[in-house]
Amino acid sequence: MKPAPFEYHCPRTVDEGTALLARYGDDAKVLAGGQSLVPLMNMRLARPANLIDINRIESLAYIRDDGRALRIGALTRQRAAERAPQVAERCPLLRDALRLVGHAQIRNRGTIGGSIAHADPAAELTAVLVALDGEVTARGPKGTRVIAARDLFVSYLTTSLDPRELLTEVCLPAPPKGAGWSWMEIARRHGDFALAGVGVVLAVRGGKITAARIGLTGVGPTPVRPAEAERLLTGQTPSEDLWNGAAEAVRAAVAPDGDIHASAEYRTHVAGVLTQRALREAWERAREAA
Amino acid sequence: MKLEGTNTLPASVDTVWKTINDPDALRSCTPGLKELKATGPDTYQATLQIGIAAVKGTYAGTLSITDKRAPTHYKITLEGTGGAGFMKGEGSVDLEPQGSGTLLKWTGDLQVGGLIAGVGQRMLGGVGKMLIGQFFKCLEERLGGSA
Amino acid sequence: MSTRYTGARVTRNEDPALLCGRGLFVDDIHLPRLAHAAVLRSPHAHARIVRIDTRRARAARAVVAVLTHADLGDLGGPLPRLIPHPALVHHKTQQALASTTVRYVGEAVALIVAESRYAAEDALDLVDVEYAPLPAAVGLEDAVAPSAPLVHEDAGTNVCARYTQRVGDVERAFAGAPRRFRERLVMDRGTASPLETRGIVAAWDPRARLLEIWDSTQAPIPIRNGLAAMFGLPQTNVRVVAPDVGGGFGPKVMMFYPEEILVPLAAQRLGRPVKWIEDRREHFVATNQEREQIHDAEIALDGTGRILGVRTVFLYDAGAYCPYGLIVPIVAGTTLPGPYHVPNYHCEFTAVFTNKTPVSPYRGAGRPHGVFVMERLLDRAADGLGIDRAEIRRRNLIQPDEFPYDVGLIYQDNAPVQYDSGDYPRCLARAAEMIGYADWRAQQEAYRTAGRYLGLGVACYVEGTGIGPYEGCRVTVEPSGQVFAATGVGTQGQGHMTAFAQIVADHLGVTPRDVTVRTGDTAAFGWGTGTFASRAAVVAGTAASMAAAAVREKTRIVAATLLEARPDEIELADGKVFVRGVPSRALPLGEVAAAANPLRFAMPREWEGPGLEATRFFAPPRGTFSNGVHACIVEIDPETGMLSLHRYVIVHDCGRVLNPLIVEGQIHGGVAQGLGGAFWEKVVYDAQGQPLTTTFMDYLLPTAADLPSFEVGHEETPTPLNPLGVKGAGEAGVIPVGAAIAQAVEDALRPFRVHITEMPLSPSRVWELVAGTRRSA
Repeated sequence: MKPAPFEYHCPRTVDEGTALLARYGDDAKVLAGGQSLVPLMNMRLARPANLIDINRIESLAYIRDDGRALRIGALTRQRAAERAPQVAERCPLLRDALRLVGHAQIRNRGTIGGSIAHADPAAELTAVLVALDGEVTARGPKGTRVIAARDLFVSYLTTSLDPRELLTEVCLPAPPKGAGWSWMEIARRHGDFALAGVGVVLAVRGGKITAARIGLTGVGPTPVRPAEAERLLTGQTPSEDLWNGAAEAVRAAVAPDGDIHASAEYRTHVAGVLTQRALREAWERAREAA
Repeated sequence: MKLEGTNTLPASVDTVWKTINDPDALRSCTPGLKELKATGPDTYQATLQIGIAAVKGTYAGTLSITDKRAPTHYKITLEGTGGAGFMKGEGSVDLEPQGSGTLLKWTGDLQVGGLIAGVGQRMLGGVGKMLIGQFFKCLEERLGGSA
Repeated sequence: MSTRYTGARVTRNEDPALLCGRGLFVDDIHLPRLAHAAVLRSPHAHARIVRIDTRRARAARAVVAVLTHADLGDLGGPLPRLIPHPALVHHKTQQALASTTVRYVGEAVALIVAESRYAAEDALDLVDVEYAPLPAAVGLEDAVAPSAPLVHEDAGTNVCARYTQRVGDVERAFAGAPRRFRERLVMDRGTASPLETRGIVAAWDPRARLLEIWDSTQAPIPIRNGLAAMFGLPQTNVRVVAPDVGGGFGPKVMMFYPEEILVPLAAQRLGRPVKWIEDRREHFVATNQEREQIHDAEIALDGTGRILGVRTVFLYDAGAYCPYGLIVPIVAGTTLPGPYHVPNYHCEFTAVFTNKTPVSPYRGAGRPHGVFVMERLLDRAADGLGIDRAEIRRRNLIQPDEFPYDVGLIYQDNAPVQYDSGDYPRCLARAAEMIGYADWRAQQEAYRTAGRYLGLGVACYVEGTGIGPYEGCRVTVEPSGQVFAATGVGTQGQGHMTAFAQIVADHLGVTPRDVTVRTGDTAAFGWGTGTFASRAAVVAGTAASMAAAAVREKTRIVAATLLEARPDEIELADGKVFVRGVPSRALPLGEVAAAANPLRFAMPREWEGPGLEATRFFAPPRGTFSNGVHACIVEIDPETGMLSLHRYVIVHDCGRVLNPLIVEGQIHGGVAQGLGGAFWEKVVYDAQGQPLTTTFMDYLLPTAADLPSFEVGHEETPTPLNPLGVKGAGEAGVIPVGAAIAQAVEDALRPFRVHITEMPLSPSRVWELVAGTRRSA
């Protein structure tokens, strides 16, 4: 498992990086954490002629709270975000989801931007981005643009990023204070790809749900935002029946593939079970916060 | 893996039949097809670069159309070998009139072997379906339909 | 002789180097001008090779050589057949490189040698092979159907062997039995997944005509002898070293894997040393696998639950070739009766070729299957008869006063299955006590009331170990006082450097740290058969003991001369040799060794030769039988099928325990592999014979994060079959795990009336079973 030959480039600034991408974009890959790309290259499934190593672009690693949202530089290591006080304070859903991304060793190298750009159908971060209506910033030959989460994920391992664009920042709007949250997933072992995963945020006032956000992973080629389930929950008083209804709506909204680890029926069923349990937990947390 | 589907195309059976036999249409609609060179009636040499995102394999092989029963039925076979392994897609296509358009029914058997099968089982089925979907979407657009 | 160290928890001699990265594995071997090999492997499960064109590959950058079958000359024939058996009609082995036909994905087709592995892999892409794919026989039952494609056309069938083992009259027993229960049990393919994949380095010295091999093998001496024969060299001109080996577990015992011929051949032809290291993806197709069997089994009992007869008819997947013969199914069949009285028994198997990676023993080697079948049958009977599961076992156990107990079968070593010693009821009682069996129903009820589904499983087994033919050991004391023990078995993590050192240390009055054990180097010791079948401690350990005892006697004789005493007055302790009662006149052991090798003058006749050194061999007439009981408590979430392991108890009896630390390590590892095979590990092939699990993303090994701590209880019923009283312990951990887990899961899901008859399970499958019974309820 040795990679095919490639040219190695090591830009120091974002401009240098985008210049390299502009030049080699069609046959280049960006190396950030490498936790997905390097195995693909070692197995010769990916054979980019050019590898653009952005690990020296220090300006891309940061976590900022701009009052409305968390702005996370693409090169921020997953482990750093997992342990950042701003994340625990403003977006605990992200922290809880991060804890289940692979193992600590992987998170020491893997980056926030890398995971999102890689768009694995069972990734945690893509579901969190979609649930929170996040967005990413990308810089390319045509300049800088912002892409909303709902427009970002196209299919398996495929985003709407142009091969010549560098993802520079991930922006996650922070849930309102006092909102409850929960991340739950089923994996065959600690750290494995989720067979199904659900992230939930519930904003609550006066014993009623004012806003519900749900993001699912592992249930299709891209993360799923089940609009009907969210609609069902909004304005309602929590109850077991309400959670069941939302679970059924989630089941209707997903069309997972089966594979050797779990059938499509199982994933659909479990997506509903996890939704119920996550809603219950999010509601508990909202109550505690009140 | 066995796959199947139906598509409604906004053209008559005859027009659809002509299109799905037209090497130009096949060349532009088959995902990843880089080269299609006729080597005989209904037989072509094909070079494909198929994959998803960074995972791409180049396959050299053949595309052939057999079992023709104009204008409603044929079998189309696309097979190739390459570094990432080999692939063989066999599709059976049936056309029937539906209103002013055509109902295209297809069933297919997609075999993927080698490296990609051993490593990518998690996504192979889904990606296969997606690529086949791309093929029909392209046909639809060619025939004047909208996405 | 002291027994200070034998039986003690001595920390391992091998660990400091291994833990600090100072081990020497085959990939650590670096030689001048070393070239690197890569193997081109078939991407088809079954195909004719129409044409191979290596021109582009040979012209590629940094490529030194490209070999195909046409280049192999005399070495192109089928590789040796190990362990022939009269029932094995079609004993097919592969060629070092395929000539006309490939029969499994991964079969070797060409060898590339280049300046680096990178360049070699680049060149793999440039070998043009034209294949004509053929239909493949993949599923075990499909392969045995009359219309199945033939894996070996010239055999005319996919059945390579049929064999029956019988005790008593099973027809009569079943005909007259008041109760009968039957089960269809399916166990699926797995692979050993050692931490270190295979690898080999070969160097040829044309002047000395010396072939030197470093091979990650469990059996270096047979490799040495086989290579000498194949290359027409004297055995003494071939040296095979199995250096530190990162796990073997069975599949590293072969003679030969193709690379074990190709790499030495390349080194000889090129006049340069060549290295081939198997990468993980290759390992999943190119290293032997095991575990696929389908049993149709039946048990007949009287009204009180006493076994009248057991019958099983099973299919065994041999893979595309069967170099290792019928060991696995024979062991499965002889293990099945277990610790129970089974007066009538019929075991019939059909060994089947399939277009998948070849099969050879993997830890357990069929014992897990025998136990799974027997324990599931007993559980079915317990349910049907309304008898407690532990009780039905108790009623059928062989009692302590019945040894030696003849089961009536012939074991894998061609000797009768005769249980030599054991206390089966005691092990079951201890396991039941440790797991809290008596209180279990009440506890389970309490959990159920709280909406939780927990279950308890208990499974018993007897394991044949310590078989011959023989092993040997040479013990030497050097003038420094350092003691050396060399033996022919290899070491892949079993702690031989420590266990054997303990035995020798006790004989010679030194500490285990003073004893350096060398294994796996044919130049250090050239007689032996290898490490497999839980035999090293028994056979090589006993040989070490015998050799050390002989060195002790020689020491006493030499010391008697030096100290002017009688040999029977001489003691050895604390590294010294002295007359009993006169410790002040002590000689260091090393000094006695130096004195035993004089440079001048006549040597006393009673010394019978120089030095403190002796070589002894132990050839056990038959194997010795370990046993044990596992008990576990699991929790299942019926909504998600997820399994949580709460407790895992192991009570085992491997006779005299040489080092509890080492035995526990063996058990922990075995149980972990067993749990892997129960809930995570499955080698999957698609309908065309394409392997779908060739990375650890899909072949799931449980990690420390997924498993509970293990609770181990040691019991000891020493064996009369060797002076140490030891029995084997290497495979024990894995053997009853599937059975225990199946019972526990069924127990947990009793309200849903789920029936477990397959291994491995998965959350998806468990949920399916629960949902299925819910729907049909």
